Amino acid sequence: MVEIVLGTALAALGAGIAVGFAGLGSGLGQGMAAAGSVGAVAEDGDMFARGIIFSALCETQAIYGFLIAILLLVFSGLLGGKPIDNIAIGIVAIGAGAAVGFAGLGSGMGQGIVAGSSVGAIVENEDMFARGIIFSALPETQAIYGFLIAILLMVFGNILG
Amino acid sequence: MAEDIATLISQLNIDPQVFMVFLIVALMIVGAVVVVVASRPILDVYPYLNPIAKVRARKGRLLDDKQMSEILESNNIEEFSSYLRGLPDYAPYLAEYPIEKSLDVHMADTYKFISTIVPNEVKDSFDVLATKVDIANIKALLTAKEVGYSNEETSNLLLPSGSLYNDLDRLVDANSVNDVIAGLDGTEYGDILADAIPKYEEEGSLLPFSNALDKYYLHKLLHSTKVPGNDNTKAIYSYIGTQVDMDNLKLIIRAKADGLDYDALSPYLISEGYQLREWKLKDLMESDSVEGVISSLDGTKYAEILQEPLSRYNNGESISVFENALDSYFADYSHSLSLEKPLGVGPIIGFLSGKEREIKNLKIIARAKREEGFPEAKIQEMLV
Repeated sequence: MVEIVLGTALAALGAGIAVGFAGLGSGLGQGMAAAGSVGAVAEDGDMFARGIIFSALCETQAIYGFLIAILLLVFSGLLGGKPIDNIAIGIVAIGAGAAVGFAGLGSGMGQGIVAGSSVGAIVENEDMFARGIIFSALPETQAIYGFLIAILLMVFGNILG
Repeated sequence: MAEDIATLISQLNIDPQVFMVFLIVALMIVGAVVVVVASRPILDVYPYLNPIAKVRARKGRLLDDKQMSEILESNNIEEFSSYLRGLPDYAPYLAEYPIEKSLDVHMADTYKFISTIVPNEVKDSFDVLATKVDIANIKALLTAKEVGYSNEETSNLLLPSGSLYNDLDRLVDANSVNDVIAGLDGTEYGDILADAIPKYEEEGSLLPFSNALDKYYLHKLLHSTKVPGNDNTKAIYSYIGTQVDMDNLKLIIRAKADGLDYDALSPYLISEGYQLREWKLKDLMESDSVEGVISSLDGTKYAEILQEPLSRYNNGESISVFENALDSYFADYSHSLSLEKPLGVGPIIGFLSGKEREIKNLKIIARAKREEGFPEAKIQEMLV
């Protein structure tokens, strides 16, 4: 049994925020994209593959959150390694989790709306596929910012390394 | 840094563990607020995504300009029919019914399809739109009984759709108009039709039934839209309200062309509208001619639309120029509404009005193609 010190507990909170909020955004987004895709497939069976692509796009936010959470758990001593005995580093871990979590929440929801709408546009006009992908990829940037900042916080906040 | 925080906490006389609990609770509250605020727009959009994809799939299959001109160029009704047989949306219907009926059944199924898939907040309005089929079937049945059609001919007139179809099909062997109305007792149309019997017996025409049904339908349609609460209900309110105004206007213009006065016209008009409120409708009904109606419309969006048809009407063209102008305006207006709310009711309105326009145009072309040598340019003019 790992002895949990306060810094580790804070890092665990950060991991929870990271995967929780990013997963929430990703789930909502994927739900919307899938709802649109199901409607499209009901009318046109050929839309199945394209519907899957648009639904899968919204998975990335959850992956970013999951990665940050795993890193936090590994480097905070929860999954082996040295526990964080410094409260300040624990707070930095919360910051890292919040960065990727909230960015993933907004990005996932935005991407879900665009992806759901793109599926509707493609089922009406097949030529919209490439443009739909481009528009759907745009809200990904916010999640990437959150992910990068989370990594930077962990690197320069003495969590990684 | 850590010492600074620890000093700060100790200066506040708070136990570090209590501080952490506060911090966590504060974070959870912030998170909850963020989730609630961020989810609001999602909750508005989410119910529409599935229906939007379904209607956009069908919208993509609406006939484009090239296909319409190919249909227009068909040499006769057989060519027209075989063209439609090549289209997946129309082929199953044409395999089962004659052309006009197949178009009507297809439209009836479209109303039914839309009322099945739309979200609850706008469902009432689309349910009422779907009752158009019941009203058309009742009118057809009454006409068949008045004219004395055989049971088979009567049955062929009915569209196999709508909530009343089974009841109406059972009434095919009724002996008279009054028997049909008695058979509809207990349905929502029973009392309305029964109330129109004295007038029918007095005038010897089915017009009182037809007008009573139309009036009831428009009243129900207008009241199916709740007070606009959000952009979707607002759009549907405009769509339905404009449709009611259009129908009221068509009725008034037709009545004035026939020389009917206020007393003759007012029982058939619903005394409310969207842009044309009660006082305005009264004003229009009191006009003594078609020109009077158009000039009374000054200040409304309809005045401009009807100016050009008025000069064509004055040059000897039929009353249908006004109806075509109003239909075209309604189709354009619906299209603009459909662009206003792309992640809401917009695409549904856009598809439905596009399909109505398509069916209307196909019926016009079908009628024209039955007549040998009917000029294409003339058909083009008649299209919405």
